[in-house]
Amino acid sequence: MSPGEAFNAQKLASELSEMPPASAISLQMSVDNYLDVIRGMLDLYANRKEMDTIYVTATISSEAIKRVLEALDIDTSRIYFVDCISHIMMGATSAQLDEHTTLVESPTMLENLMLKVEYLIRRSESKDKLVVLDSINSLAIHNNNWILSEFLHILVSGLRSREAYTVILSVEEHSTPEINNMVNLVCDHVINAGKQGE
Amino acid sequence: MPQKSGERERCVTGIEGLDTILYGGIPRANTILLTGSCGTGKTSLALEFLIHGAMKNENSLFVSVTENSEKLLTNIIPYRFFDKGLIKSGRLVFVDLPIMYERLGMTKPELSMEEIDLLVAAIGSLAKELGAKRLVVDSITSVCYKLKTSEKIRDFILNLGKVLSDQNCTSVLVGEVPATSTAYSSFGVEEALPDGIILMANMERRGDLLRTLQVIKMRGTMHSRAKYVLDLTPMGVLLVPLLKGGSTG
Repeated sequence: MSPGEAFNAQKLASELSEMPPASAISLQMSVDNYLDVIRGMLDLYANRKEMDTIYVTATISSEAIKRVLEALDIDTSRIYFVDCISHIMMGATSAQLDEHTTLVESPTMLENLMLKVEYLIRRSESKDKLVVLDSINSLAIHNNNWILSEFLHILVSGLRSREAYTVILSVEEHSTPEINNMVNLVCDHVINAGKQGE
Repeated sequence: MPQKSGERERCVTGIEGLDTILYGGIPRANTILLTGSCGTGKTSLALEFLIHGAMKNENSLFVSVTENSEKLLTNIIPYRFFDKGLIKSGRLVFVDLPIMYERLGMTKPELSMEEIDLLVAAIGSLAKELGAKRLVVDSITSVCYKLKTSEKIRDFILNLGKVLSDQNCTSVLVGEVPATSTAYSSFGVEEALPDGIILMANMERRGDLLRTLQVIKMRGTMHSRAKYVLDLTPMGVLLVPLLKGGSTG
């Protein structure tokens, strides 16, 4: 998909399907199609590809994402959340009780975020794994570009060595050239999910 | 792990990140001081070192000084790889040092030089009897409180290290330091004697408290001297490099 093109879930699924293992993908989207993109991607990987998905959320709580996915009848049994936002919002009680959710106290604790991803990867028995980072823009609110860039480099290199797919989400309206450069440096592919369809 | 010629045989800790930091593990028969303030994960790491040893059929001995070993086992992280059969089979043995003191008639608050020799011999004999290839004393600082003087502490650590090393046993002495301390040991003597020092700490960065690990020295191997952040998980101790970008600390 090219920038400015209308969002097409099937086309996005098709582009994602073609990615080889150990790929790092920068998935750029508009605020308007954020939920559609997440739905399309998780449906493809976690359900159709039967792949364990580790979903790092720093944008909205894992509870909120789960509710959306369940409302859309998307099976969440293969999705494991690393939730960096619920604790800081002081709303972590219910998430703590869920074995599919691991909490990180704050999005500034980037090392702990990597450790939780590592833990879930080791725990997973699935042959193929996907790690979704939602989103680079949310992490950029809490971290400076130097540390964020170092974090991305170490995280993506580590995932690549484990042959895991990495998808880094970024929201066009909230991005800056520095953030785009940072993501492009570690990713092999850039997919633009386009604008909300008619 | 196969050894290159001339290289010391390694005691692979089984803690993946730590073995990477140590270029393959602790040189076999070394005595290590694993030191840090409370809540930094020293006991968990030491115990995992023993469990991995026992899983590889290396008899492992935990000498508990501060905490009753039964209580220790109930409080420890439920490692997914931990099999209680290791204890039943005698591969992993727990001994409470206060019971050993009692049996050896060491009831006074301060041990004499003769009693120190007796204690070292008793631990050495036990390790020999069990055929222990890995041993942990948790904590050496609590033993030091019964030794009082620098001379006695030096004697105890040197002799214990020698007895265990002669048996090809790799040992980890857990040390405790106050949170505010910049030293590696409470008495200032313990840190000078072992073959290696692993420092565990709590590091505050912009209000976040991170658990860190750093290998200060390790005789017989190259090693990283960088600081790593660790997490205690049911899959064991996990380590990642400390991020430095933008940090002023």
